[in-house]
Amino acid sequence: MLGAAMSRTIYTILLGLVGAAVVHLAVLLLVPIYSERDAWSRLSERAPLFALSPITGPDGTLFSRAADPLLTAAACRFALGTGIARVAAAGTVPYWAVSVHDRFGQEIYSFNDRTATDRQLDVVIASPAQMVELRKELPEEYENSVFVETDQREGIVVVRAFVPDQSWSGVVSSFIESAACRQE
Amino acid sequence: MLRTIALTLIFLLISLGGGISSVWYTLNANVGFGAIRIGVWTAFPQEGSNDADPYSVARRARDAKLPLGRAVGLSFFANTDSDGQTLSGQCNYQLVGNVPQARFWTIYPASPSLEPLKTSAYRNAVLHSQQLLRRQDSSFVISIGPDPAAGNWISVTQPNQMVFVLTLYDTQIASTVASAEREFPAIVNVGCRDE
Repeated sequence: MLGAAMSRTIYTILLGLVGAAVVHLAVLLLVPIYSERDAWSRLSERAPLFALSPITGPDGTLFSRAADPLLTAAACRFALGTGIARVAAAGTVPYWAVSVHDRFGQEIYSFNDRTATDRQLDVVIASPAQMVELRKELPEEYENSVFVETDQREGIVVVRAFVPDQSWSGVVSSFIESAACRQE
Repeated sequence: MLRTIALTLIFLLISLGGGISSVWYTLNANVGFGAIRIGVWTAFPQEGSNDADPYSVARRARDAKLPLGRAVGLSFFANTDSDGQTLSGQCNYQLVGNVPQARFWTIYPASPSLEPLKTSAYRNAVLHSQQLLRRQDSSFVISIGPDPAAGNWISVTQPNQMVFVLTLYDTQIASTVASAEREFPAIVNVGCRDE
């Protein structure tokens, strides 16, 4: 009698461990889909689509962990449903980098000032169909733009710039402030 | 009857409790597949890419991470010194050596959850490669700890466990990592405060 109870308990524990593995996998795979704390959700709380908002800064607006205190960063959400997305900024800073992410934060493309024309930040994000249209007759204003083609319907653009010391903070923040994220 | 209920409860407790807490634990443990380890330094070059493992993807969603892109930079984390002891805010450390080719790099101490430490309300505890004092062979010594040190020093004002974050910007390191071992700084404990 005692032996039977014992083996049932052991059986239950083993079954529980198998269940734990299943739950582990399920939770792990569902976290990204149902997360309300991911970058997209937090950005939509603080700014509408096509609005650049700071994601790190000395004023404590930091929400992205592992954020370098010497880098200023801003992000904007874009959607390609009704037009292309364009991010451009004016000014010269020691270093800037742009990364384009999909809705879940996965990187689509990234580049920095060394790979841009005249080190000017000007990036156009378009779907393959919009890209075909653009290529037919490239408007002059896009001559110096970096083009990113993606089949994602929406995503996030992050602009980062290096602040070597306090004396640069004004220059860098006006660079970030000059950055415009818009639909065209 | 009672025993069936008890066994069901045990089953649910183990599977739900174990399943959920193990996810929570692994996401906090900052471990993942595709990590590269160089000495005491660990990096996750695939974190933001489509090769990212499910743990990196879940961590990205939970922490609202927008990882540095490949053309942006790569962060290396160290939570122990070169003797394998956990880094503590009560100890003074020296980072000795060099750093692989990059346009510039930054080093800062952070909390175990990777929040950069602050020395005061307005100042961050951080150094970058363009402000370092170097030796003649371009190698360097950076002191990190509570006690002031000559040369490059990052002040630490909290006594808890910490992590050093070394970020290389505009670097090819992810593709040349095999040959990079000797180019990363060692972390030497040069003495702890007695409590």
